[in-house]
Amino acid sequence: MEYYLGIAQTIGIHALLGWSAYVLLLTGQLSLAQVGFFAIGAYVSAILTTMFGFHIVPALMVGALLGGFFAMLVGFPALRVKGLMLVVATIAFTQFVSLFFFNVHWRRDVDGVMAGPDSTQGFREIRFYAANGWDTLDVTLFIWLFVLLVMSGLWWLDRSRAGTVLRAVGADDLAAQSSGINLTVAKVTAMTAGGVIAGLAGGLYAHSATYVDHLTFSVLLATFAIAYPIIGGIHSVLGTLAAVIFIQGILIEGLRFLGDWRNILFGLLIILIMNLKPNGIMDARTMRTIKRMFAGGKSADAK
Amino acid sequence: MDDIVFYTVEITQSIIDGVLFGSTYSLIGIGFTLIFGAMHKLNMTYAAASLAGAYIGLVFFTLFDAPAMLVFLAAIVGSAGIGLIVYYICFRYIPVENHLAALMASVGALFFIDEIVIHATNASPLTFPALFDDVMLELGPFGIRGDLLFVFAVSLISMAALWYLLYRTRLGLATRAVSQQGIAAQLCGIDVHRTNGATFVVAGMLGGVAGSMIGASVGILSPLLTLPITIKGLIVTVIGGLGSIPGAIVAGFLVGALENIFLFVRGVNERDMYIMLLLFVFLVFRPHGIFSRRAERD
Repeated sequence: MEYYLGIAQTIGIHALLGWSAYVLLLTGQLSLAQVGFFAIGAYVSAILTTMFGFHIVPALMVGALLGGFFAMLVGFPALRVKGLMLVVATIAFTQFVSLFFFNVHWRRDVDGVMAGPDSTQGFREIRFYAANGWDTLDVTLFIWLFVLLVMSGLWWLDRSRAGTVLRAVGADDLAAQSSGINLTVAKVTAMTAGGVIAGLAGGLYAHSATYVDHLTFSVLLATFAIAYPIIGGIHSVLGTLAAVIFIQGILIEGLRFLGDWRNILFGLLIILIMNLKPNGIMDARTMRTIKRMFAGGKSADAK
Repeated sequence: MDDIVFYTVEITQSIIDGVLFGSTYSLIGIGFTLIFGAMHKLNMTYAAASLAGAYIGLVFFTLFDAPAMLVFLAAIVGSAGIGLIVYYICFRYIPVENHLAALMASVGALFFIDEIVIHATNASPLTFPALFDDVMLELGPFGIRGDLLFVFAVSLISMAALWYLLYRTRLGLATRAVSQQGIAAQLCGIDVHRTNGATFVVAGMLGGVAGSMIGASVGILSPLLTLPITIKGLIVTVIGGLGSIPGAIVAGFLVGALENIFLFVRGVNERDMYIMLLLFVFLVFRPHGIFSRRAERD
């Protein structure tokens, strides 16, 4: 049971990370900086709980807000360039944040124990859950509370005017601009929202892992973050979740028996999916089929 | 006073070494730029494929104890072959307007190639042959490593060969035509898919040179090199201006030199941070790269 709850936690955190990239993908921007904001959220909220004795909820909020703040800072210069330049700029940002935390050494005496990030040694003993007697189930539910919150927020966004604006920018920014949409505002807002979600995910990650170091926040993880919405497709907020479950649940956990070969298969599968379903596994067609299946099921029940 | 002399000498030495090694960054940058120019797509696999080419060369070295030159040739052929495969599996059949899918597929290929290399070598670093590694040119207070000088010379020769190919052959004409106006080129009877495939092969050959030269100057090949080289190559491409070959060449030297200066002044842990900052400086003040004036964006 612990094992499955562990997977559920991973899926929840990765889904949040995927959604943080998803918001930005709606505007047609591909950002590998989400892991940078994730790292900021992780370190900041962990520093607050372990070194200053904050409760986890305000710590998470501060982490998320700071993630959003840095996303806004990165957003302004980085969004002057678009598309592929942005990819490179954001890779560099993630690398920069990772290297920054690699060089941070800030320890503080908390009840006779030194706590805090210790550069190359990583940040150990992020023990808020254990210290307050939360068991694995509590933690999982806590994480999924945020997952559901963010998911319903994005679900609502897709049906609101703001979501339409974001998608319009993504579909054709010139046309969007001609109809009076301020591109910079739209993109920086999406970037900031993505940063907030990523910061939140980072805080949740740090506390459930109890240990973070700079290697966690790699370009590889950043690639995963964009892989979820691209593989799942940005047609629906569910696509990202489906992709996370597919990759984390089935590919990584389900195929563990394959050992090393699993990783090779992983690359091949991405290539295959992108060739067969360039718009993601949950593209418009798949969603229609699913809807029809559910509708069919309902009418069968009615008889 | 002596301190100042010492620092000047040391920093100049760092710059010399950096520029010489930076020529390999230039080659990787040119490869990214070539493919971007032809297809307006980013081939994330490129640096990994270049190093994989070097590994193919290494097979000949380890199994048959082949001479270094043959190892380099095998690397070039191998990397060109990988380039063509990557073109077919990641770019050829994905809709042209779908940039995300192609990008993601090439990331998939990056994982794939990297994992195969890790699997084949058990992730342990392997010795790579070098030429002239026992030569040391003395120029006053400076020393120039023979192997780095060789790397530099080979890189320059490859750049010259590329220039000849692009500006003096029919294939080069077709490549430039496709990169300027794909549809117009097609209307003139140029087979766009074949030209793109050829561009991948040419870029792959450059990558093979870059991969083996990196191996020769570092002395070892390790899967750990893939990511840093990919990122440095991308940074060089952006600083040079996407699609600009002269820009990529100069940016490669620049990044190589600055990297060594920061290594000398601030140490290995912080070195790459400053390179990332340099990229942001360029993005803010010269988003179109060193040479290109206001070219079209994206």
